Amino acid sequence: MDSDTYQAINLFLNFGWPLLLLMTAYFIGTVIERNHFRRIRQREEEYSSLPVVTFDTMPDDWQAGESTLVTGSIVVSLDYFKRVIAGLRGIVGGRVKTYEPLLDRARREAVLRMIEDARAQGFDGIYNVRLETSRLANSRGDGQGTAGVEMLAYGTAVKMASRFAPRMERF
Amino acid sequence: MKHVPRQPREGINVSDTHPLVEAGTLFIGLTAIFVGIALLLIFLIEVVLYFVPADKEAALFRDWLPDDLMTVSPADERLYATQSLVDELARQWPDSPYEFRVEIDASEVANAMALPGGLIIVTEGLLQQVESQNELAFVLGHELGHFRNRDHLRALGRGIALSLFFTVTSGSDVSGLGIKVSDLALRGFSRKQELAADSFGLDVVNAQYGHVSEAWRLFERWDTEDGTLLDIATYTSTHPQPDDRIGKLEQLALERGWSVDGEVTELGW
Amino acid sequence: MQTSSSFPIAISNTETIPGKQIVEFYGVVTGNTVRAKHIGRDIMAGLKNIVGGELVGYTELLQDSRQEATERMIEQARSMGANAVVNVRFATSSISQGAAELFAYGTAVKVT
Repeated sequence: MDSDTYQAINLFLNFGWPLLLLMTAYFIGTVIERNHFRRIRQREEEYSSLPVVTFDTMPDDWQAGESTLVTGSIVVSLDYFKRVIAGLRGIVGGRVKTYEPLLDRARREAVLRMIEDARAQGFDGIYNVRLETSRLANSRGDGQGTAGVEMLAYGTAVKMASRFAPRMERF
Repeated sequence: MKHVPRQPREGINVSDTHPLVEAGTLFIGLTAIFVGIALLLIFLIEVVLYFVPADKEAALFRDWLPDDLMTVSPADERLYATQSLVDELARQWPDSPYEFRVEIDASEVANAMALPGGLIIVTEGLLQQVESQNELAFVLGHELGHFRNRDHLRALGRGIALSLFFTVTSGSDVSGLGIKVSDLALRGFSRKQELAADSFGLDVVNAQYGHVSEAWRLFERWDTEDGTLLDIATYTSTHPQPDDRIGKLEQLALERGWSVDGEVTELGW
Repeated sequence: MQTSSSFPIAISNTETIPGKQIVEFYGVVTGNTVRAKHIGRDIMAGLKNIVGGELVGYTELLQDSRQEATERMIEQARSMGANAVVNVRFATSSISQGAAELFAYGTAVKVT
């Protein structure tokens, strides 16, 4: 094989292929992301009537009957494009803007799943909500790679004695 | 307290920079930085070379051998034959501060290297591929040319610089890409060195035999044969080839008025 | 609904803002940032790992991140018309080898 073909193959393997992967990851990732955000917004609208708070004592007027712990979680993977950008950021520092939409929708999804868990069991409100993030490491390469990021949302769901409990006047 | 369902405004936790714009800026910026650092390293290497003249280097590395060298054992007649060939060729460079030593590396992949202290390493693979003494003489003469231009130190410096780069930026997926880009930049510089080494090698061969017949036959064989892609790959990774090496050699011979006809000397083994 | 961007918001990590009463609550608000450290800080940290002591570079980095995350949370609260955020909690986690996520979350409320 002559050196021109060899050079061409070399160039493609070293530059063309990674670039192709990057662009594919970017475009597919963007489509997935847009769709996911749309579904999230839709569900947030739908569930907005269910109160979700981080107070650690229950609001008095909820008059709880039954209660239980509810959780919602999701594991998202970091696609190739985002990882590459983050790697570059690791050299110059600064905000890794490509991760932000990913983590945003992961968190909102986790909260929505927690709400769905509560609704499925017939609960009317959730308090003492906590959010946790953790990184799942790759099994190869001393666990230095990231296989995914898990978002967990959990709280105490209660059944209110009456959904239309009167608001207590306070002074 | 009353529950009033409200949603926050969309997009607060997200930046408005378009990811492709961010990607583009980062890529271009970092490539520029990497290339800049590569050029800086080239400059620094030149400075070092200025302060370590050839005779000091020869004295320093006189008995040095690389750690990963696997020599063919027992030392055979090819070693003696190659060593004496090198000694003869070196007579064409009377001012050389080096006492050239030859070692044969057991690798089956054809390669030849010039290392600090006047050490020339040829591989088992190379010795199996050469078919005449003229071919071997050109390869050796080429390495002598590198010694003359002190290219071997530049290559060493480049290797050190790249591995430094790697350790500093490791952990990111793109350090490999950055290294490739800077390697390319450094390699472009090396093409000039290769041509200079070729020119000296041809000069030495002509002085030795009176002609340059068959000097580059080895490369012609590599060019036409499909096999030994690994050989070519390895050789071209350490010897960045100008696009038309054979053509340039032919042109050199023509310009200098060297004859391409002449009796070809057999290998001594 | 208040939409002025410089409307002051009270924050607290307790049930209520001391001295005030909550009259309405809206929901959970969050703010997060993902920051990566740069090579310089990395190298300094490597050196500090030998001698010990405070990693000033990282402290500053995380403080800035926390500040930004809190501001985003407040921004979300403002856009809902709240004037306070209570029960604020922080969480830090590593996303990948060079990047750490900081987030702050709380409940957006209206106090008087």
